[in-house]
Amino acid sequence: MLELPQQLINGLWQGAALALFAMGYTLVFGVLDIINLAQGATFMWGAFFAFICVTKLGWSLWFSIPVAMVGAGLLSILLDRLAFKPLRSLTSGGLVLWGGFIVLLVGMVGKWAFPVKTGITITGAAVMLVGFVLDYRSIRPLRIREVPHLAPIISSIGATFILVSLAINEFGAQVSRFPANLFPVKPYHITADAVISPIQTLVLILSLALMLVLSLLINRTQMGRAIRAIAWSERTSRLLGINVDYVIAQTFFISGALAGAAGVLLGLAFNRLEPTMGGEVELAGLTVIIVGGMGSIGGAAMAAFLVGMIRVLSVAYIDSSFRDAFVFALLILVLLIRPSGIFGRSKAVRA
Amino acid sequence: MKARFFSFPTVLMLLFVCFAAIDVSSASAASASSLSGEIPIGAVWSMTGAAAVYGSSQKNASELAVDEINKSGMLGAGKIKLITEDDRSTKEGAITAFDKLIKEYKVVAILGPTLSNSAKAADPIAQAAKVPVLAVSNTAGGIVEMGDFIFRDSLSEMLVQPNTIRETKNKLGYKKVAILYGNDDVFTKGGYDAFKKALNDQGIQILATETFNKNDSDFSAQLTKIKGLKPDAIIVSALAEEAAGIMSQGRQLGIPDSVPFIGGNGFNSPKLAQLAGPAAEGAITGAAWLISNDTPGNKAFVEAYHKKFGANPDQFAAQAYTGVYILANAIKTAGSSNPTAIRDAMAKIKDMDTVLGKFSFDAHREPVHSPVVQIIKNGKFVLYK
Repeated sequence: MLELPQQLINGLWQGAALALFAMGYTLVFGVLDIINLAQGATFMWGAFFAFICVTKLGWSLWFSIPVAMVGAGLLSILLDRLAFKPLRSLTSGGLVLWGGFIVLLVGMVGKWAFPVKTGITITGAAVMLVGFVLDYRSIRPLRIREVPHLAPIISSIGATFILVSLAINEFGAQVSRFPANLFPVKPYHITADAVISPIQTLVLILSLALMLVLSLLINRTQMGRAIRAIAWSERTSRLLGINVDYVIAQTFFISGALAGAAGVLLGLAFNRLEPTMGGEVELAGLTVIIVGGMGSIGGAAMAAFLVGMIRVLSVAYIDSSFRDAFVFALLILVLLIRPSGIFGRSKAVRA
Repeated sequence: MKARFFSFPTVLMLLFVCFAAIDVSSASAASASSLSGEIPIGAVWSMTGAAAVYGSSQKNASELAVDEINKSGMLGAGKIKLITEDDRSTKEGAITAFDKLIKEYKVVAILGPTLSNSAKAADPIAQAAKVPVLAVSNTAGGIVEMGDFIFRDSLSEMLVQPNTIRETKNKLGYKKVAILYGNDDVFTKGGYDAFKKALNDQGIQILATETFNKNDSDFSAQLTKIKGLKPDAIIVSALAEEAAGIMSQGRQLGIPDSVPFIGGNGFNSPKLAQLAGPAAEGAITGAAWLISNDTPGNKAFVEAYHKKFGANPDQFAAQAYTGVYILANAIKTAGSSNPTAIRDAMAKIKDMDTVLGKFSFDAHREPVHSPVVQIIKNGKFVLYK
């Protein structure tokens, strides 16, 4: 029992990081009713954005974290335009965007000499920019589709593959790490036996702060009102004059920025960045949003702490081999007793 | 009745006898013109794919050894011709490479393949063709058991770990330990089995056995539990990346420096100290070879390797380098480039001077030489004293 305080700290700070990730996840689900499985890849790229800022550009960590969040947010918007929007409503701009994206990929992955490679990459990026603007300005899509629920899931899995492959191409499959001494390592003593390191403290504080900001954003601002309106009914919102595409882009930005923040923080805490790092948190995040109630932001935050604690306590008092088994047992239990999740409500009430 | 005399099986048997006779005569013809011209030796390394990091140092070291042997005139008028194939770190690649080497290049012996997994798929081909195989990096069980033409110069985990435990126990006097291992990987699980047996044999109490999964990055729950049990040492069977995470998190949670992390072959990577930084200080592991060994020819090998490739050799390079010398020695003793003669000569190797130390094969074609125990000091592996 002596190690209980330490185990609670372990569970708490990891739950906090998981909450950041899961809130963005559940936000997109709440608004669009799609599960964005590429959230894990956005998480990974967020970590690598900060990595580039710190190692290649030599920026300070405090500046790199917001930059990485913005980077991940923009990536998330792009992801929406490439993987999800064409499924909702296809525009000619969307097709141009896709064409540019393919050219960009060819430019990034191909093995040509310096001017050719850069030329193709820049051309691709320019075409994408044009496509993006066209797509945004288009009033009447080529067609509005009613695609099955499975389609966005599949296209987000595809997006994950592309993003992970690009990261492997860029950084290699091995583990990268932030330079040592970026952050003090001397732990603070809570009790004689329980310690928390400065980076874990940062994770905890920053996560709680971002949770507060998010809840204010959703509940107290015009933008939050628009997001909630679209979650309730996209068609009605359109009739009321809400710029639905713009609000969806904002939603993806917030979701991506949160995932990016979680990526940087966990990357820093474990000092281990690799292209496949999104996989584990992806699965944990999925459990969290189902347990918390799909689309419920507060529920996701609470469930994240619950899952964090269960993971830690099952190791501490039962057996480390069964850690994930306990998490999924919780998932099944919740689904059996309350299929809408612990904090889940019906769609109308949720909005 | 007359027709029966030349029945089909009989004809077939006669044919076989004829072919066998031709085979024997051609083989003896080869040995008559022995050790002149080129002696083709195959090498199968993982030069691309997951194990490429090991394959490249094996390729470098084997080329270095062949150059040295050909220059020194060790084989008289004979020259070794090394034919290197890439198995892309896959079983299929290894099978294709073995086929090609045996049928197309008619090699007299094969070095490799890099991975135990590939060896299990490809070695039977060489066994069937009676071409000796010398594995230089396979440490899993069930390799030499595949047949009497399969040898290895790489010590298995089962041989290295007991030595590590014995030496560290003698010096540190620990009585109770905790174990942490990856339970979803053949290699780390195998390392755990070897450690567990060694610990039981030497009467060391195991306080707790904790597990983790491949690609886990958080070990704090397991380590907190271990910390509460106050072990004298922590045994870790993990690959370098996970081991680095375990060490940094363990030290951060306040496991004192007097409790060392002791590991298996997975620790044998410069990456460990690189990733874990100061937390890797004092980590102990067993190994087949150490760069600062004072074994015969080791210094010259390290210097020659560094000069030629601009990097220090690792254990995999040393074992591949030794492998070429073992084959050359067997060819010289056999006085022939007949694969069976080479196999027989190789099986008799005793107390040969190599960079790994005094080297012998036991009755099961397993290597016999003393492993070393090393410790990380100032970010580098040095001999544990």
